[in-house]
Amino acid sequence: MGEVIVITSGKGGVGKTTTTANIGIGLSELDKKVIVIDTDLGLRNLDVVMGLENRIVYNIVDVIEGSCRLKQALIKDKRFPELYLLPSAQTKDKTSVSPEQMKKLIEDIRNDFDFILLDCPAGIEQGFQNAIAGADRSIVVTTPEVSAIRDADRIIGLLEASGIRRNDLLINRLRIDMVRRGDMMSVDDVTEILAVDLLGVIPDDEQVVIATNQGEPVVGEDCLAGKAYMDICRRLTGEEIPVDDFSRPEGFFEKISSLFHRN
Amino acid sequence: MSVHSVSVAKERLKNLLVSDRMQCTPETVCRLEGDLYHTVSKYVEVRREDFDVTVTRTDIHIKYMGEKN
Repeated sequence: MGEVIVITSGKGGVGKTTTTANIGIGLSELDKKVIVIDTDLGLRNLDVVMGLENRIVYNIVDVIEGSCRLKQALIKDKRFPELYLLPSAQTKDKTSVSPEQMKKLIEDIRNDFDFILLDCPAGIEQGFQNAIAGADRSIVVTTPEVSAIRDADRIIGLLEASGIRRNDLLINRLRIDMVRRGDMMSVDDVTEILAVDLLGVIPDDEQVVIATNQGEPVVGEDCLAGKAYMDICRRLTGEEIPVDDFSRPEGFFEKISSLFHRN
Repeated sequence: MSVHSVSVAKERLKNLLVSDRMQCTPETVCRLEGDLYHTVSKYVEVRREDFDVTVTRTDIHIKYMGEKN
């Protein structure tokens, strides 16, 4: 039976969709059978980040309304072993799907995959309720900023209240140079305040922007973010890999910060 | 700027989270803390600066430091 993970954040623009795409791709590279589901009705983006926007015929609302079979709506990403995308609808709104319908959809498919990843819309309204309805656990994405962490705390509270007990934190876009000079909250600062388990840290890396521009993954690539995403995928498959909080001593730091300053 | 901005961010964030978690204004949180201190100090000898209230998502923790040597 597959594990159902919702990727959520509360605040928009912190990297939920990029994270869903890269974790999905990374898990499939680890020989897991994966489906990524875009639950953001009206603002379809996961397909674009993955570079699959030209292959969409049917979407999640068509499947739920019974206008097509699931198999017809699924897009197989041919670049990877066993990776499927169920795209969102661009022309429908949040109310075209109910939490019960989402739950049923997930129950129908959970035996066919090892991992079911749900890309959640920003906000705490119905789109959020739909996305978390069928989830076993969550990955809460935040950046080291006051507003994003505040929203993450709110989201964790709502997840706990909905009976989702396993909520892991992913800190995205950490600027190592800024942490070092005391102008960005560190991994310790954030985890101390939020008091949840840390799944991983993605350093701010221009390679993410470059990869997303091209509709390609960064996971597994030879760059800081690529390695960090792959570590997260390995952790999700049960491997014990210590989380790098990028607070190493001088020599290492110098090297890393020089990478960031090069442009 | 001489003060590093992280300390400001952490302070602001902590206050925000307490009001969010308790769904009330920072002033109300302050009053609650005062009332809790008042109540506890009726039974336990504790100085205001040794008394601390922490609000997590599910609990309110009251911490006080006892007699110091």
